[in-house]
Amino acid sequence: MGKQENSFEIEKKVGMALKTRILSVIATSFFAALGIIVVFPFFVMVIASFRPGKDIIRYGLALQIDFDVMSFKNYKYLFTGNHAYFTWFKNSLVLTLLSVVLTLIVCYFVAYGLSMYKFKLRNFLFFLVIATMMVPFEILMLPLFQEMIDLKLIDTTAGVILPGLVSASTVFFFRQYMMGLPHELLDAGRIDGSTEYGICIKIMLPITKPAFAAMAILSSMGAWNSMLWPLLVYRSASKFTLPIGLNTLLTPYGNNYDLLIAGSCFAVLPIFAIFLAFQSYFIDGMTAGAVKG
Amino acid sequence: MKSLKKVLYSQKAAPYVFVLPFLLSFMFFWIYPLFSTVKMSFQSILPGQVEWIGLENYQKLLKDRVFHLAIKNSFTYMFWTLVLLIPFPMIYACIMDGKLVKAKGLFKALLYLPALTSVVVAGTMFRLMFAEMETSQMNQIVQWLGFGPIKWLKGKYTGMFALLLVACWRWTGVNMLYYLSGLKNIDNSLYESAEIDGASGFKKFLYIQLPLLKPTTIYVLTISIYAGLAMFLESFMLWNGNASPNNIGLTIVGYLYRRGIEKNQLGYASAVGLVLLAIALFINIIQLIWNGTFKKEER
Amino acid sequence: MKKKLLSMLLCIVMLASLFAACGKKDDADNKEPGTQQGNDEGTDEGNDDAGDEEGEATAITTVGPDSGTKMEMWTFVELHSQFYAEMLNLWNEQNPDKQIQITFTTYPYGDMHNKLLMSNQAGTGAPDLCDIEISQFPNFMQGEVQFRELNEFVDKYRDDIVPARLEIYSKDGKEYGAPTHVGATVMFYNTEILEKYGVDYTTIKTWDDYTEAAKKVAEGSNGEVYMTSVDTGGTDWLWVAMAEYGEDYTTDEGAPNIELQSIKNMLNMQKGWLDEGLAIVSPGGHVDLEEGFANLGDGKIASFPKAMWFMSRFLNYLPEMAGKWAIAPCPVFEEGQPRSVGIGGTGTVVSLQSKNADLAAEFITFAKLSYEGNVKIWEVLGFDTCNTEIWSDPEITSDTSNQYIAYFVNNPFDALNEIKDEIGVIKVGKINPAISEQFNLTILNNVFENGADIDEELKMAQEQLELEDY
Repeated sequence: MGKQENSFEIEKKVGMALKTRILSVIATSFFAALGIIVVFPFFVMVIASFRPGKDIIRYGLALQIDFDVMSFKNYKYLFTGNHAYFTWFKNSLVLTLLSVVLTLIVCYFVAYGLSMYKFKLRNFLFFLVIATMMVPFEILMLPLFQEMIDLKLIDTTAGVILPGLVSASTVFFFRQYMMGLPHELLDAGRIDGSTEYGICIKIMLPITKPAFAAMAILSSMGAWNSMLWPLLVYRSASKFTLPIGLNTLLTPYGNNYDLLIAGSCFAVLPIFAIFLAFQSYFIDGMTAGAVKG
Repeated sequence: MKSLKKVLYSQKAAPYVFVLPFLLSFMFFWIYPLFSTVKMSFQSILPGQVEWIGLENYQKLLKDRVFHLAIKNSFTYMFWTLVLLIPFPMIYACIMDGKLVKAKGLFKALLYLPALTSVVVAGTMFRLMFAEMETSQMNQIVQWLGFGPIKWLKGKYTGMFALLLVACWRWTGVNMLYYLSGLKNIDNSLYESAEIDGASGFKKFLYIQLPLLKPTTIYVLTISIYAGLAMFLESFMLWNGNASPNNIGLTIVGYLYRRGIEKNQLGYASAVGLVLLAIALFINIIQLIWNGTFKKEER
Repeated sequence: MKKKLLSMLLCIVMLASLFAACGKKDDADNKEPGTQQGNDEGTDEGNDDAGDEEGEATAITTVGPDSGTKMEMWTFVELHSQFYAEMLNLWNEQNPDKQIQITFTTYPYGDMHNKLLMSNQAGTGAPDLCDIEISQFPNFMQGEVQFRELNEFVDKYRDDIVPARLEIYSKDGKEYGAPTHVGATVMFYNTEILEKYGVDYTTIKTWDDYTEAAKKVAEGSNGEVYMTSVDTGGTDWLWVAMAEYGEDYTTDEGAPNIELQSIKNMLNMQKGWLDEGLAIVSPGGHVDLEEGFANLGDGKIASFPKAMWFMSRFLNYLPEMAGKWAIAPCPVFEEGQPRSVGIGGTGTVVSLQSKNADLAAEFITFAKLSYEGNVKIWEVLGFDTCNTEIWSDPEITSDTSNQYIAYFVNNPFDALNEIKDEIGVIKVGKINPAISEQFNLTILNNVFENGADIDEELKMAQEQLELEDY
C-alpha cells in the first residue's frame, strides 16, 4: 500500500516537473519570438546597410539577401569617405558625456535636498518637480529659444544643455531612491564632524550608485538621441550631432542612403555599449527608485 | 564673511543650497518662458511688428479644423499607446519574473535595444519598411499573407498603425523593465503564502502582482500620457518631414512646430502650446486624483 | 563574463571611432587652404558631383582669398554653392579691389529655411547671403522685410532678364531676391515606350490627344504601362491648368480663390484617367522623389509634366535612360492656350544684418544675372536661365558635348524656344504656402485616393483657407 502511494507521489512529481518544463519551454519560446520580432527591423537595416543606396530608393527596405548586390562599399565609405559623419559622432559623444555627467550631479544634489531634509517648502518644491514633469517640453521650446538668443547662448553647447540640466524626472527618481535610504547615516556623519556637504558627497553618494547607474542609462539615451532642441540651438554645421546630421542626409534633393543606413547601424553601438555595461545595475537601481510611487 | 559661511553650512540652510539649482532652472527655464508664451499667445509677431491682438489667436484655434484634427490624432495615439503599452509589458514582466523563462538577461537586453535607437534612425527605418512599393518589407509580409500591397503611409488607419507599431517597438521593453523592477519590490513571502494556499499562477497575478504594481502603473501611466501627447519626432521621421497626406500623422506638437517654426507665427503657435499645456495638466491631474496620489503626498 | 567582453569590445569600437573622428578633422583642416586658393579644381568637382550622390552630406567650404571681405552664405543644395564658388572666383579675378571670401554652408532644406526665419525674427545670426526656395519666400516677406532691396543692383542687368522672375521675389515694387531660373514647365515623354505602342508625341497638342494616346498605351500594354502618374503631393498639374486658362488661385489682393474652373477641369480629367486605368497615382505623392525616380526607371509611366530643372534629376538618378526621353510643350485644353508655366525657383537674398550688404548685393546680382553667370547656371546646374538670350546663343544651344543636351532625344532649347512667349506666371504670395498645404496634404489625396467629390473638397479647403491671414 505504502509503496503504491509512493510511486503515485513520484508520478505526480514527475508530472509537475514535466508540466513546469513544458511551460518553461512555452514561456521561453514566447520571449524568443518577441525578441526576434524586436530585432527584426535591425536585421533588415543591417542587411540594407550592405546594399547600394540606390537599391533602397527603388525597392524600399526589405529583408532580401542578395549577395550579388551586397558589398562593404557603404562601410568603406563610412570610414574613409569625405563626409562629416565622424564629426557628428564626436559631437554627440561629447554632448552626451557632458550633459549626462552634469545632469546627474546637479539632480543628485537637488534630490538630496528634497529627500534628506525636512523643511518648509519641501512638499511644495516636490510638487513643482512633478508639475514640470508633466508639461511637454515642446510647449516652451519657442520662448526658450528666444531666451537663448537674448542670453547669447545660441549655437553653444551651454545653450543645448542648460535648459535640461535639472531634469525633473531624474530628480524625481533620485528622490524616490533616497527616500528609501537610512536617514540615520546623516546624524552619524554629523557626530563624526562632517559638514552637511561632506555627508552628501562622502557618505551618501557612494550608496546611491545603483540609482546613478540607472539614471546614467536613461539620461544618456535621451541625450544621445535628442534632436529637436539641439537642432534649434546649433547653427554651425560643424557642431551638428548624430541625429541632426543623419537627418541632413534626407533632403528633397536626394537622400544619401549609402551613408544614412550604414551610419545609423553604427550609431546604435555606443549607446548599446553603455547599456550592456550598466545593465545589471540598471534593474537594481530602478527597483529601488521611481517605482515606489 | 565667516558668519555667511557658517549660515551656509548650517543644517537649516543646507537644503536650500541643495535645491537652489532646481529653483534657478525652474525660474529661468520654466516660469519665464511660460509667461512669455502666454504673452505671445495674445500677440501677432512679425519681424519688427509686434501687435497685441487679444483673443484672436484663440478664436482662430476654435475654427481651425487642422488643429482639431491634430488634437484628435494626438489623443488617438495617446489612447492606443496606453492600451498597448501598459497591460502587455506588465504581463510580459510577470511572466519574465517567474522561474519559467531561461536566458532572461538576453531577452531583457533584446527588448530594450529599440529604445536605445534614435527616433531619426527608427523612423527612417520604418518609413522605408512601410514604403508603398511591392518590394518593401511590410508589403512583402501582407502579400505573403495573401493580400495586395498597401499604401501604408497614406491611409488614416494604416498610418496610425505604423505610428503605433513604432511606439510599441520602442517602448515595450522599457515599460517591461519598469514593471520588472516593480515586481522585485514585492515581498517573496507573499508568493510563498499564496503557494501554500494553492493559488494558481493566474490568481497570483490577479491578487498579488496586479494590486502591488499600482505605483509602477501610475508612474508608467503618467509618462505615457506625457509621451503620447507630446509625440512629434516619430511622425516627423515617418513621413520625412512634418507633412503627412491628409494630416494623418499631424500631432499637436507637430502643429506647434508647423506654425511656430515653419511658418514663423509665434503668437499662434504659443496659443497652440498653451492648449496642449491645459490638456496635459488636466488629464494628468484627473489621473493622479483618481489614483489617489495627492492624498499620499499630503500625509 | 561574455557580456562584459562584448561591452568591452563595443567600447573599443567607440574609442576607435573617436580616433577616426580626430583623424577626419585633420583631413578637413588640411583641405581647406587648398580650396581657399580658389583654384580651378572646384569646376571639376562640381561636374562630377552632378552624377554622384555621395557629395550630399552637409558641407562647409570657404572660397576666396583671406584678404577679401569675409561673408557667410547658406544654401540648401550643395550644387548651388559650387556654382556660387565658381562665380566668386570669376568675380575676384575681375574685381581685384573688391575681393570677397565666402564660407558656404549647405543645410537640409527645411532646417535652412527655419533657421533663417528664426534669425530674422531674432535680428541676429543670419548669413550675409542666403538661397530661399520660392514656396518658402512668402514667409520671409511678412512684417518688415529683413533683406536688402536689390533694385539698384539689378538695374545693370534688368533688360536681359525675364521680368516675371524678378517680380516673384519682390514686395511693393522692391526686389529682394535674385532669381536662378525660369522653371518653364514642359512635358517629358519616354519615346521608347510611346513608339512601342504607336504614339508619336509630337502630334499631341491637346489634352484630348493626350488622353487618346493614353488609351493606346494602356491597351497596348494590357494595363501594365500608364501614360502618366497624377500627383497627390504636388500642384504642378494645377499650375499648368491655371496658366492655360489664365487663372490664378490667389486674387490680386492676395486672397485665396481655389474654386477655379481650370483646377476643376484638370482634376476631373485626371480622375477620369484614374478611373479608366490610364494613369496611376504617383508613388510617394509626386515625381521628384525616390519613389518617383524608381517609377520612371521601371518604365511604368510614359510621360509627366515638370519644370525644365527636372533635367538634372534625369542625369543624377536615371543615367541609364539616356537617349529615351524627349521634351515637348504641354498639351492644352483648348488650342491656342499658352503651353507652359514657370514653376519652382530659388531667390538669393542679402540680409540686412550683413555688414557688407552692398558688396554682397553687387556680387550676387553679378553671379546670377550677368551673362557669364547665366552661362554657368546652364552648364553647372542645367537650368533654363532667366536671361533668355542664352536660349538662342548657338555656341551654347548646339554644344552637343553638354551633358544635358546629350541626354535627351531632342534639344531642350528647341522646346524652350517654342514656348518662350507662352510661359505663364502664377503669383506667389503670403497665402500660397497654406494653399499648397491644402492641396498637397488634403484635397488631392481625398480626390484621387479616397474618391471625394471635387467641388466639395475645394469648397471646404477654401473655407479653411479664409481663416488664414493674407
